[in-house]
This record gives sequence, structure tokens and C-alpha cells, in this order.
Amino acid sequence: MDVKSAITRARRGLREERRLYIVAVTSLAVAFLCLGATLLGVTNLDAAATRWGQSGRITLFLKDDADPQDIAQLRVVLEGLADVSNVTHVTPDEARASFLEEADVGADLSSLPPEVFPASLEVTLVRGVTRERSESIASRLAQFRAVSDVESYRSWFQKLDHLLWGARMLAVGLAVLVVFCVVAVIGNTIRLAVARRRQEIEVMKLCGATNGFVRGPFVLEGMFQGFASALLAVLALLAGYLSLHESVDGTLAALTGSRVVFLSVWTLVALLAGGALIGAIGSAMSVRRYLSV
Amino acid sequence: MQGTKVVRPFPFFRAGARASQPQLAKPILVLEDVYKFFRPDQPTLRGVNLSVERGEFAFITGPSGAGKSTLLKLIYRELGVDEGRVLFCGRDIARLTDKSIPFLRRNLGIVFQDFRIIDHWTAYENVAVALEILSMPQRLVRSRVAEALERVGLAGRGAERTSNLSGGEKQRVAVARAIVPEPALILADEPTGNLDPHLAIDILTLFEEINTTGTTVLFATHDHSLISKRDHRLISIDEGRVVEAQHGLKQWPGSGIHTLVG
Ligand SMILES: Nc1ncnc2c1ncn2[C@@H]1O[C@H](COP(=O)(O)OP(=O)(O)OP(=O)(O)O)[C@@H](O)[C@H]1O
Ligand SMILES: [Mg+2]
Repeated sequence: MDVKSAITRARRGLREERRLYIVAVTSLAVAFLCLGATLLGVTNLDAAATRWGQSGRITLFLKDDADPQDIAQLRVVLEGLADVSNVTHVTPDEARASFLEEADVGADLSSLPPEVFPASLEVTLVRGVTRERSESIASRLAQFRAVSDVESYRSWFQKLDHLLWGARMLAVGLAVLVVFCVVAVIGNTIRLAVARRRQEIEVMKLCGATNGFVRGPFVLEGMFQGFASALLAVLALLAGYLSLHESVDGTLAALTGSRVVFLSVWTLVALLAGGALIGAIGSAMSVRRYLSV
Repeated sequence: MQGTKVVRPFPFFRAGARASQPQLAKPILVLEDVYKFFRPDQPTLRGVNLSVERGEFAFITGPSGAGKSTLLKLIYRELGVDEGRVLFCGRDIARLTDKSIPFLRRNLGIVFQDFRIIDHWTAYENVAVALEILSMPQRLVRSRVAEALERVGLAGRGAERTSNLSGGEKQRVAVARAIVPEPALILADEPTGNLDPHLAIDILTLFEEINTTGTTVLFATHDHSLISKRDHRLISIDEGRVVEAQHGLKQWPGSGIHTLVG
């Protein structure tokens, strides 16, 4: 097949059918935008989860009547562990102060006495400790006499995992839906374009054009529509990201200590290439069906 | 043209020096016992036998509905025969696969009553399409299209949109499109049907000029004022069979023109 001629004719086709194609590209861009936004959510959740997973923390709540000597001994043991990078002793006063600062709900809480807040040892693990390892450390530390309770934030991670799984499923579902939309919408516009160019197709067939020659431009036009929709969505997403990320970053950093990230280069490439590919497939299917040359 | 692939799988089909000596000696088109049924009980063509020599000019005539268009469609393979053989340059084209049909058509120039040119294209584009499908380089396309437009009397008017052309001019563009790939055989299905009588003569003359350069022309028409002005071979289809005269109406074997066109 002569690619150069197909491109020339596809460009003419895009020019002649631009109204039809603009409508298709715009609606498909919205579909791609939904998918892109979901992927952006997944990317950020994933980044946050990875960050927290790596900066492991264990809180050892101490018994009110714990022997200071036991506590000191516990600290020595903890500091001797290779997985532990830092241990901080939080007294009830400190716990109360930091709670009141974070809670920030009003005066009635400030009447809470320090006794309500148990003393604790905040254990920071070295980077890269797996969650399983931190679980086993936590369960061993629970055996110590001074320890009343251990918080390894397991349920927290489970919740995050569930959220991440849900978001991923949503992305997969949306991706399937977008593929379906692209195939349907582009298939339909190409069907219309074929109908409008029926006369030209007939002339080319009479002059001895092969199937590939007649179909080539339509496939390219579909491919272009898929690509343009994905590109439009990516640009809109990028514009949204650039205008919002600074204000969101501040809040997020305070809440979770992580920053907003944009889609990875590979995700972007996959979106654009996927758009082009599905567009080409959609139009090829349509042309096969409606253009029996 | 070097380095560019020009798809032309049957080079010997073309007019000119490419055909081998034995190929040139044979008739360009032979129909052997051809049957075409649209209804099982009533064949449109029943046992048509026909032989057309290279370089001939022949009228195909007959009353409306006789099967003139059908006969031509069998040659450019819009339709397939139900029985018999159609030999084009010695090859049976009646049973070509769908994939080969485009390559047959590259050796034919086809002209219709309704012009079949694209109104929103220029005259140039309408003619060039016949060469572009052959993946011919643009430089060559330009010179050959200009040459073809000149031959049909539209020199220098390639840039005009065909919607602005008159009927006769549109048909000239269609003729240019048919001749630009230098086909061996031209099939014209009532090319003058939509034109005034004097324009019809002009177009007929144009086809005759093309014929003098060696291209075989089959000219279907039921306009006997046109036929009577010339002494070309006459192929008449009636009741699904062919009746012939070698030199126009004067030699018509039947009882005059009425058996010819109903
Ligand atoms: N695709 C088809 N399906 C069914 N019948 C057909 C088809 N094509 C042609 N016919 C029939 O075959 C007969 C011959 O048709 P054809 O078009 O070849 O006639 P024609 O000689 O070209 O007539 P005209 O001078 O009016 O153009 C007609 O009776 C027509 O109804
Ligand atoms: Mg007819």
C-alpha cells in the first residue's frame, strides 16, 4: 500500500469531514479525560502507599504504671535492632499537646487531663522495611512488660490497599468503557465518512484501486481521531494539574507528607498510543463492514 | 520512475510495445457462449459470441434493457458471467478472484452516461486519481494529466472545480480520466446520453481520435442518429443474442433500423 498517498488522502478527508470529526474527538476526549483523571488518582494513591509503606512506624503504648527502668531497657533493645532508625519517648503531656494542636476543635477538649493520653514510644523503622517484617517486630515488642498496646497501623494499610484496589478496578473498568466508546464512536464517524465519500470510492474502484488503497485513508483518519482525543484529554489533565497542584500540595503534604505527582511518561505514552491504536482498530472494523470493495 | 513501485501485474495488457507479438496478433476481447441470468427463466444474455480485434472501434447497440450495460459490466467485472468465457488479452477474466479485479481494471478505461466525476474536486484531481492508484510519482502524474487534458480539449483548465464545468466538459474530464493510464481497451456506456446532439458528435469524435492512437473502443449507445453518421462495426444485442454488421447501418442484415433499436 502506498502510505504517502494514503496520508495525503486522509488529510483531505480530515479537512472535508472536520465538523463530524471535531464532534467525535471532543466527546472521546471527555471519555479519555475520565480515564486519565482516574489514572491520576491511582498514581497518587500508589505513590502515597509506597511512601508510607517504606517509612514504617510502630507506636508502643506504655502502661501507666510502667517501671522507668523497664522503659529504659526497652529503649536499649529497640535501638539495638537493625531495622529501627529512631525511637522517641512521648510523655502524656506531649501527647496531649500534639493532639490538641492537630485536633483544633475547640476549648472543651483542652480540659482533658494528660492522664487520658498514655505515654508511648514512637519507633521509626529504617527505609525499606517490609510490612510483614514490621508486623513481626510489632508482635515481638508486645511481649515486653512495660508495653500495654502496640499499634503497627496494619488496619490503616489494609484500608489503603482496599482503596487502591478499588481505584485500580475503577480504572480498568473505565479503560474498557473508553475502548468501547472509541471503537463505537470512531466506527460510526467512519461509517458516515464512507457514506459521504461513496462516489469517490466508486470512482477509485472503477479505476482499479485495491481494497487497501481505498481503506487506508479511513484507517488513518480513525487513528488520528483516537490520538487527537487522547492528546486533548492529556493536555486538559496537565493544565488542571499545573493550575491546582500547588494548592493541593500544601494540604496533602500536611496530611500525608507526600506530594501530588502527574502521570508517568509511560502512562502518557500508553494513553496516546492506545488512543491511536484503538482508533485505527475501530475504523478498520467499520471500514471492513461498510466498505465492501 | 526509478525506485518507485508501479503496480502493473499484467504489463502486456497495455497498449503499445509491451505486448508480445503473439499477444498482439490475438483479438483483445473474446466472448465465448456467454450467459447472464438475472432471473432463472429469462437470461439477459444467452450464448453471446463476440470477438474484438486490437485497435477496433465498435458500437454496441440494442433497445433499452437489451443488456448493453450488462455486457460491459461483464468485461470490467462489475458482474460475473453465469456461463461461458470472457477472454481479455487471452486471459479468462470471467473467473478472476476479487483481489485480481483491480488489476484488470487498470487496463481498462470506463466512461459512463452520468460522468461519475467528483464535483468538489478539480479537473486535475479527477484525472489524476487514475494514476495515483498506481502509486505513480507526482512529477509523472502532473505531466501525464496535463497531456490527457490537452487531448480532450481542456488544456490549462486543470485547476477548475468540475462543478463549474458544463456537461460536455465534465464528460471530457471523464474521458481524460479513462485514457490517462493508457488502457488497452475503452468501455463507454452511453457516454453521450446526457449531452446535446452536437456535443454528442464532439464526444464521439474524441473517442475516434483516441481510437486512432491504437486504443480499442467499445461504444454503447442506442442513439441511432449517432450510429448512422459513422461506418463503424455495429454490435447489436437483441433478445439476449448478438447480431453484427461490419460497416455501420448500410450493411445491416435485418429489415432496417427497427430491428436494431426496437
Ligand atoms: N443487477 C441487476 N439485477 C437484476 N436485473 C438486472 C440487473 N442489471 C440489469 N438487469 C436487467 O437486465 C436487463 C438488461 O439491463 P441493461 O442495463 O444491461 O440494459 P441496457 O441495454 O444497458 O439498457 P439501457 O439502454 O436502458 O441502458 C434489464 O432487463 C434489467 O432489468
Ligand atoms: Mg445501459
